[in-house]
Amino acid sequence: MSAVRRPAADTLGGHILDLDDLGVVFTTETGPVQAVRGVSLHVAPGETLALVGESGSGKSTVALAAMGLLSGNARATGRAVVDGTDIVGADEERLSGLRGSTVSMVFQEPATALDPLTRVGKQIAEVIRNHRRVSAADAAERAVELLRRVGIPEPEQRARAYPFQLSGGQRQRVVIAMAIANEPALLIADEPTTALDVTVQAEILDLLRRLAEETGTGVLLVTHNMGVVADFADRVAVMYQGAIVETGPVEDVLLRPSHDYTKRLLSAVPRLSVAEAGGTARADERADGPGADAPGAAPAGQPAVELTDVSVVFGRGKQAVHALKGVSFAVHPGETLGLVGESGSGKSTASRVALGLIAPTAGSVTLFGADLARTRARARRALRAGIGVVLQDPVASLDARMTVGECVAEPLRIHRGRLSGRERESLVAAVLDRVRLPREVARRTPRELSGGQRQRVSLARALVLEPRLLVADEPTSALDVSVQEAVLEVIRELQEELGFACLFVSHDLAVVQQFARRVVVMRAGRAEEQGLTSATLLHPETDYTRRLLAAVPVPDPVVQRGRRAERLATLAAGRTEEQG
Amino acid sequence: MSSSLASVDGLAAKPAQAASGTRLAVRRFLRNRLAVVGLGVVVFFVLFCFVGPLIYSTDQTHTLLQQVNQSPSGAHWLGTDAVGHDELGRLMYGGKVSLIVGLSAGVLATVIGTLWGAAAGYAGGWVDAVMMRVVDAGIAIPALFILLVVSAITTPDLTGLVLILGLISWLVPSRLVRAETLTLKNRDFVLTLRAIGGTHARAIIRHILPNSVSTIIVAATFQVADAILLVAYVSYLGLGVQPPSTDWGGMLSTGMTAAYSGYWWLIVPPGLAIILVVWAFNAIGDGLRDAFDVRGRA
Amino acid sequence: MSTYSFLIRRVLQALAVVLLVTVVVFCLLHALPGGPARGILGPQATASQITAFNHEQGLDKPLPVQYVYYLNQLIHGDLGMSYTLNEPVSQLITERLPKTLLLTVLSAVVGLLVAVPLGVWQAVRRNKPVDYVITTLSFIAYSTPVYFLGLILVLVFSQVLPWFPAQAPQGNSVLAVLSQPQGLVLPVVAGAATMVAVFSRYMRSATLENLTEDYVRTARAGGSRPRAILTRHVFRNSLTPVVAMLGYYVPVLFGGALVVEQLFNYPGMGLLFWTAAQSSDYPVLLGCVLVISIATVTGTLLADVLQRVIDPRVKAGRS
Repeated sequence: MSAVRRPAADTLGGHILDLDDLGVVFTTETGPVQAVRGVSLHVAPGETLALVGESGSGKSTVALAAMGLLSGNARATGRAVVDGTDIVGADEERLSGLRGSTVSMVFQEPATALDPLTRVGKQIAEVIRNHRRVSAADAAERAVELLRRVGIPEPEQRARAYPFQLSGGQRQRVVIAMAIANEPALLIADEPTTALDVTVQAEILDLLRRLAEETGTGVLLVTHNMGVVADFADRVAVMYQGAIVETGPVEDVLLRPSHDYTKRLLSAVPRLSVAEAGGTARADERADGPGADAPGAAPAGQPAVELTDVSVVFGRGKQAVHALKGVSFAVHPGETLGLVGESGSGKSTASRVALGLIAPTAGSVTLFGADLARTRARARRALRAGIGVVLQDPVASLDARMTVGECVAEPLRIHRGRLSGRERESLVAAVLDRVRLPREVARRTPRELSGGQRQRVSLARALVLEPRLLVADEPTSALDVSVQEAVLEVIRELQEELGFACLFVSHDLAVVQQFARRVVVMRAGRAEEQGLTSATLLHPETDYTRRLLAAVPVPDPVVQRGRRAERLATLAAGRTEEQG
Repeated sequence: MSSSLASVDGLAAKPAQAASGTRLAVRRFLRNRLAVVGLGVVVFFVLFCFVGPLIYSTDQTHTLLQQVNQSPSGAHWLGTDAVGHDELGRLMYGGKVSLIVGLSAGVLATVIGTLWGAAAGYAGGWVDAVMMRVVDAGIAIPALFILLVVSAITTPDLTGLVLILGLISWLVPSRLVRAETLTLKNRDFVLTLRAIGGTHARAIIRHILPNSVSTIIVAATFQVADAILLVAYVSYLGLGVQPPSTDWGGMLSTGMTAAYSGYWWLIVPPGLAIILVVWAFNAIGDGLRDAFDVRGRA
Repeated sequence: MSTYSFLIRRVLQALAVVLLVTVVVFCLLHALPGGPARGILGPQATASQITAFNHEQGLDKPLPVQYVYYLNQLIHGDLGMSYTLNEPVSQLITERLPKTLLLTVLSAVVGLLVAVPLGVWQAVRRNKPVDYVITTLSFIAYSTPVYFLGLILVLVFSQVLPWFPAQAPQGNSVLAVLSQPQGLVLPVVAGAATMVAVFSRYMRSATLENLTEDYVRTARAGGSRPRAILTRHVFRNSLTPVVAMLGYYVPVLFGGALVVEQLFNYPGMGLLFWTAAQSSDYPVLLGCVLVISIATVTGTLLADVLQRVIDPRVKAGRS
């Protein structure tokens, strides 16, 4: 609580939300957990306050407490005043009266936020009728109006759709329509774009900003994404371990942070280097330089893995899904190839083809010079000794029934069956050193470790055979930025030391830009464009890559404002072009 | 979704407080009071049937016509039956058969079901489709109907009975294990293993089966409950063990005619014993499911 | 997937299952002492009669050939003759099946009407005394052999309290049975008890699961009252998986009907089956198994279709 700076105009009267010394304690199986303590903040009408922090910081708990939506095992203390009513201690009837009319909320997961069996129009109408005495027909009509307002095409038809018939972005628009149905004075948005692709994220943020401006609604934006903060917030409050460590205007906090934690957090955020963006600064050069200068010289000799004209079709007939269409790329020893794209672009499928987990419908895969389709099973298994794998989910990647030591030793058991137990142990200890984990973790189980530690265990398992190819599928996207930085750092160092080729799959353009020498941009099963990261991600050749890059919010409010204006202008130009 | 983990807020498991899996499971189980009572009931009946006869010894082989259908008294705590056997002693004697047959048949069904389900789920594709149609066909013939047909053909001995019961009740566990295998084989740690050249055998033996253990144990517990119940039906259907041997179901069905004559002590004890034991295994299964956090039968 | 292709696919699947059942029944037929010849000629037939019959009917041909003969007979509705009743099995079954269907459908409807609200109530009062009491009771109901339950029902509600007859209504037609509704009460209660136990548990856990779903939070955030959320959203979402379970439950219902019919002397297929078992009337036994299996497969099919009707996602081929 060292650097709490509060604006002078902190008077109770003018605020739509006022938290005063808010605390939340959860009763859990392992005893009480103080998730939030001493949080005081306020939101004025028409302003957006971003509440940022890493996982476990308590930011979402604060948001839920302000709605009175905490789960049954939580107890709140202090005051959370919404438009004159203290939410802490208010009864359910009182809260129902406020929720959806004075204060409303947008959630993170659009896939599950809507009742799957009720038509979306009806769900919106329900919120209207909760607070206004209008006929069902009037409410339905108003629901269509709201759908139009949140930018859903053909709202009359869409109102009759079930949630599963809409895309993730459209579902989030429906949730927003529900939230603004009764023109609330306060909108709480809890990671509203985290589950969405970057281009959809940009659209949703535009929508939220427009709606807030039109109605003068105050917004409490909960997010871990500094780019989103820079794009959207007027003021920022930084949370760490349940408490607020710093509050201030967005420029101050993001550009001139005063608290140590904020500084560390911001320095760990990967920044997208941008070529021009209205001439403003490139993002800060990091000490170890951007990925364009990453280890590994120009591709030389035989590639570790090469996909040639690979197509993958799942299913057949009318229901066939063309997951990959004629994709070709190669990863050479010592270099990192970034595979980027939005969800459904085929990047994960491509990585699984490279791993030999999915056989291509057409085209060929060459692993260390051998065509996988023409090698016998035994030889193929031997080839695979040269592959290391790190997948996205730190929980699902390790078998929870094994100790960390057994997990890491598994590749040794498969390919170096003749090793003695002691030799295995010493190899495991050595590789744990390499990924900078204490040797003692070998005896622990994965569930005793944090997400970042688990990913390092996965990395240790991938590297224990000193592979020639490392395939990393979103290895850090489930991690907090500070942890992500540490994990990427370890991969980078070991690559320098061991010289393996790395296929790095990620949805995060900024990470790929820093980490990969070359990049393949995937879109709808095709390789849209590929080339050196320094060229492709700074001066893209295709509109698609350009749009993708433009949609990434950078954690600098000044730069981001320029980028936003530019993006909107391009969009508007595109639209008139289409119409013309 | 991809990034939902990044923002699990407030309650993210802190490494320090994560108790070991087993200890947590035990604690969760003990918190389920019905399950604990169920465990107590099972322990009681096992002692009752297997240790009880050592303390309370009775003649269960000879017909004692001088003491038939006596109501409960100091000499015969639960009275005597139509051929003069002490009812309490008979309850112990019959319980042995019920428990042994029920447990063996339940375990056998679970083993068959596990192998079948794991094979179908792991193989996938048309193998899975064919194997699951076989399960559908098996489920389509109600168990009691098959048992009655068998009873019309032959009267099996105890081993035969266990085999028959096992062979008709493996279908439900096979479905559960198949579902579990389907999810597990697509889990990241199995994919990783396959990618780096691990064999199918290793995937199944080292990863899929150990991770299905909790599902299998829970299924087995419910299976034993169902098997004990089925054993009770078997005597009613005329397939049961032959006199002078008996089981609770046999005692109950022979006592049914006597019930109209007011000999309540011939049906209430075996009836209660069946209900209590089956109830207990169901309660234990329920507790284990909570403890292991397994989904499945409600 | 369109409704049309869904139905075709699902019916084909059901046919495959029925075909497998015929294989099982065919195998049972050949496992019988004396084989199918004795099944048709009756228990008194001599060995030479059997040999002659086997030759005449092609029963000395290889089993696969015989199986085709058997299927051909089935397709023509020929299930053989009953030894004891001297009537075609198909006729016996046609007469009794409707009455069994009446009993099972009544039991299922009554069972669901009790189980569903009970489950919801338990979920809402989770871990309160009511929940524990109902949980204990439903475990007890589940653990009680149906014949024991039936006996107790008769003793209490027919002997001690003379409210209902101990015997089910007799009669040749469904209408005759329906004209004595008081006689149906005890059989239906006995048949529905297990169902109440099982489905109240399903409903309870489905409701509990749905109560923690995100959409409930969204509805609360929109100002919907708890009761409205329960009735408008949670109830429907919880019912869907329960309907899916209904398909799996059909065989258990028929198994229960077997015992209930015997116990209450209800003139349905279960009783027919039971008496056939006592007299080793194999043609009747196997005919009944086949018909019951087809009824089960049809019931499962109907449950699937029902689920498709109430869940738009299933219709779209997702779940």
